Amino acid sequence: MMNNYFLILPEISLLLTGMLILFLDAFSKELGVGRKIFPMLAIIGSLLSALLSFLLIGNNETLFDIYKVDDLTAYFRILLSLILCFLVIGSHEYNDKKITHIGEYYFLLLTATVGGIVMVAGVELITMYVGLELLSFSLYVASSSLINDKQSGEASLKYVLIGGVGSAILLFGLSMIYGSAQSTFYNDIAINFLNGDFFNLEFLLVGLIFLIAGLGFKLSAVPFHMWAPDVYQGAPTPVTAFLSTSSKAAVIGLLFRLLGGPLLGVIEYWQPLIILLSVLTMIIGNLIAIQQKNIKRMLAYSSVGQIGYLLMAFVGLSSYTLSAALFHLSGYLATNLLIFIAIIIFYTKNKENSLINDFKGLANNQPFLALIISAGLFSLAGMPLLAGFFTKFILFQAIVQNGFLWIVVIAVTMSTISLYYYLQIIKQMYLFEDNDNNCVSKWNLTPSQYIASSLLFLLVIFIGIYGTPFYSFAEQSIMVLF
Amino acid sequence: MIPLENFLILSSILFCIGFYGVLSRKNAILILISVELMLAAVGINFVAFSSFYDTERYSGHIFALFVVAIAAAEVGLALGIIIRLFRERKTINIDEANELKW
Repeated sequence: MMNNYFLILPEISLLLTGMLILFLDAFSKELGVGRKIFPMLAIIGSLLSALLSFLLIGNNETLFDIYKVDDLTAYFRILLSLILCFLVIGSHEYNDKKITHIGEYYFLLLTATVGGIVMVAGVELITMYVGLELLSFSLYVASSSLINDKQSGEASLKYVLIGGVGSAILLFGLSMIYGSAQSTFYNDIAINFLNGDFFNLEFLLVGLIFLIAGLGFKLSAVPFHMWAPDVYQGAPTPVTAFLSTSSKAAVIGLLFRLLGGPLLGVIEYWQPLIILLSVLTMIIGNLIAIQQKNIKRMLAYSSVGQIGYLLMAFVGLSSYTLSAALFHLSGYLATNLLIFIAIIIFYTKNKENSLINDFKGLANNQPFLALIISAGLFSLAGMPLLAGFFTKFILFQAIVQNGFLWIVVIAVTMSTISLYYYLQIIKQMYLFEDNDNNCVSKWNLTPSQYIASSLLFLLVIFIGIYGTPFYSFAEQSIMVLF
Repeated sequence: MIPLENFLILSSILFCIGFYGVLSRKNAILILISVELMLAAVGINFVAFSSFYDTERYSGHIFALFVVAIAAAEVGLALGIIIRLFRERKTINIDEANELKW
């Protein structure tokens, strides 16, 4: 069988850029290159990867029996590459100021993106696991890269220890599923589970519980969420943004592949677990977010809550709910990235206490940034005309059609509650004067910061008003699963 | 031939000991060793299943090798982070790492 290496060009381009950055970083004195070149290279590499992924839409081929390049892979490739691109454009000034070992930092972000793509594309348990660990390991190191910051090291330690336990639990689950399906290839697992001929129920049940617990650690779903707020607070803000967008998206993509494919035959066994996880995550994530004073912790809990909405898609699993969830995922990622980039821009100029009070009077000092942050927060809460409303509406509608009205009632209640704590930030920005002058008055954004934030802002509005192209692409991507 | 159950019981015991260690130890390096115990349990599981059920492809054996390699990488990485923490605080007791809470 011929294997077409052109199909993995996006990953190759990301990895080669990473290698080049590492090489230039090691020999920067000899070659006489400055620090400015690393973000440039990372932007070029991720844009190239997104472009190549666009060209590869419509393929449906499996490489080496383990790596599937189809529209679902293409969707996640484009999402993850564009997230990385926007993140680097919006945050490179911040990184220049506050990050040690800048070359290695960009290398780690690139490998993390590759890991995320491999997780979604892999159709074999070993490949999937290696991708997952590539993503996690890169982020363990990246979250410790703040200069002279005790919190950053502590966040990284907590992340590596709890992440290690999480992946051990996930692996135990995988081994049990391997024991009951007797293969690591998704195709064979699906056939064996559907036939049910050699099928060991005890192994399967233990395996599913451990698998979902392990993925719950990676997703920071309640009750496995305790690491998330600490790591989000301690890590550098761009890494926090990456954690709450790319790493979540990749795990959700893995769930699409795994639950919509090989484990579809045993849906009656894992469905209750996902319902429990989703309801707990929605309720607890949103309720704890209310009392947070630290903006990064608050956004951590809010993203825990948002994961609950996404997990609902697997409750009444059909191609309709999955494509709605994929659409909601892209809207959520754009919105969340917008907020984080605005916060990164704010802390590039101001002292980083990460408190909600820092944003006092921002509407006077920098109206554009205040507008961007409020638009993002309203979109997360689900205000009409912004991405959050339209995508959430379609997701909830799809789940109601599958007969799970009660869970949607909880979700709507919780997203109303979430409006309260999002409004806390908006209140600080618009209603208070900056009396203690902890915010630099009247400053301007740099061109690259303008580009990143306004493009994302337009994207959020565009998805909210005219989301049809995104939705039809999501639908087309989900078709490959069924 | 030793029955499959024996391997599974051994691996479950190892996994539980490892998990207990993670929950009860205060020293970061001992927690890391406990995580390694959990991964060793997983390796036993994979090898046992693959030699009982998957005798054509032995995917489980390969998976066990990958687990060992990735666990080694994880230890290297975690030790680096622990060293950083030690430089800052002169201790690797995880109870002292208490700046981030609530």
